[in-house]
Amino acid sequence: MPLGFTLAPKVLASKTLTSWITPVAHWYANLAGYRRYGLKYDDLVIEEYEDVQKALNRLTPREQYDRAFRMKRASHASVLHNVLPKEEWTKPEEVSNPLSPADQM
Amino acid sequence: MLTARASSRTVQRVARNFATVVDSAGVKVAAVDNNQPTASVTFLIKAGSRFESKPGVAHGLKNFAFKSSAKRSALGTVRESEIYGGVLSASLSREHLALTAEFLRGDEPYFVDVLTSFVTSAKFARHEYNEYVAPAVESEIEESKFNPGFQAVEAAHAVAFHNGLGSSLLASPHNSITHEDIRSFAQSAFARDNIAVLGTGIDQTTLTSLVEQSLSKISATSQLSSPPSSYFGGETRLQAHGGPQTVFIGFGSAGRPSPEIAALAAFLSTTPSVKWSQGTSPITATLPKDTAVEVVYLPYSDASLFGLLVQGPTGSAVKEAGKAAVQALKTASNGLKGDDLKKALVKAKFAAASAVDSREGLLSVLGSKVLSGHESSLDSTLASLDKVSENAFAKAASSLVKTKPVFVAVGDVATLPYVDELGL
Repeated sequence: MPLGFTLAPKVLASKTLTSWITPVAHWYANLAGYRRYGLKYDDLVIEEYEDVQKALNRLTPREQYDRAFRMKRASHASVLHNVLPKEEWTKPEEVSNPLSPADQM
Repeated sequence: MLTARASSRTVQRVARNFATVVDSAGVKVAAVDNNQPTASVTFLIKAGSRFESKPGVAHGLKNFAFKSSAKRSALGTVRESEIYGGVLSASLSREHLALTAEFLRGDEPYFVDVLTSFVTSAKFARHEYNEYVAPAVESEIEESKFNPGFQAVEAAHAVAFHNGLGSSLLASPHNSITHEDIRSFAQSAFARDNIAVLGTGIDQTTLTSLVEQSLSKISATSQLSSPPSSYFGGETRLQAHGGPQTVFIGFGSAGRPSPEIAALAAFLSTTPSVKWSQGTSPITATLPKDTAVEVVYLPYSDASLFGLLVQGPTGSAVKEAGKAAVQALKTASNGLKGDDLKKALVKAKFAAASAVDSREGLLSVLGSKVLSGHESSLDSTLASLDKVSENAFAKAASSLVKTKPVFVAVGDVATLPYVDELGL
């Protein structure tokens, strides 16, 4: 769910560009730190908007449960002033965007 | 004088018939152009409630019509149709699902595309089921609770035909249908041999060329089937509040609908030919005050249901009206003589012919003929009515009335009569 201007579709359309930019993207996402708390990118989206609320309502019960679990686990880690053990980090291959229209079919 | 005129007036030519049926890539396409100011295209799909794999799936599919497809979203369809000024609608019967677009002449490329993209690439999204389809299904079920006549006819079908034709048009109030069920039902129903494309106010070749390309993507043969109907009969009583007290007395038969029964229905029909007059139906003469009797005749492809829908303010009034109606039916079923039979046949012919005058009637009467590959005109119906003789009528009517009746009481079941109290 792009919240603003994005070049992602153009990059994904080109094989060369994708192969160049993907490592940089993963480096950047790892640097942002949310993966170390077991979160997904969509968990960072600010909830107080009508469209985001609608997308949240459309999650399946399982997805809602998983989202709440990730949030709880992350805030617990935050209270402990520590990141999660490495096996609980979000892995690059399990990245999905539960709030994107494509994932809600 | 009157009889001579009535018999000599055979309908020579029915201009509103579909001219020809073209089989284009396995899809039957028929169009008729009477120079109407608007045009319409209907996809008639054999996906009525008798074919459903799970109760209520057909009702769900009807309400899923014109939601997201690969080409445009549900909102996109609404906006674009409004820009073109057309109307999209879906309707469900026991045998067919009809998806119709009505539009101004010249807009057919867009509206045919809306119809084909739904048939070929509908998404059946989970959130659309939860947000649009399920509430619509629920409100139609809720609405039907306040229509005892509809409830009675629904219950009568269940009692008369059990499965197949007996399955209800509406989903049950507490159903477990999911978008996945509807998707798999649609996938097995949307096949080329299962769809007839009917156009009015549109050129046949234009319509064929528009449909041909896009429908070649879907599978060729449908996986839906329904066992041949058989008639059972029986009695059921439903408690209901708010509406008039209702009783349905019906007689069904399996096999092709016969013209004799159509004539019997036309003879008993209580709708007068002149508004506010009493008419000459044998039922109206003996009805108690405030009660009404409607003659119901529902022909299907392999069965038919004939019945009397009796409604009144109290159970005892309905009992009196029911007795009178059954008496009239029994008298008529012994045979009609001379003018009575002629009147019945002409009324039946007019009913059949005038149904074809309206767009909906044209589709419901001739659409199924196009789909089954029969001759797509009214001529055979009218000719079969012409052939009805006194003997054939008496035989068909008396054997119909001798079958085990369907009896449905809807309303205050404590005061409504039982089937034996009506003289059956």
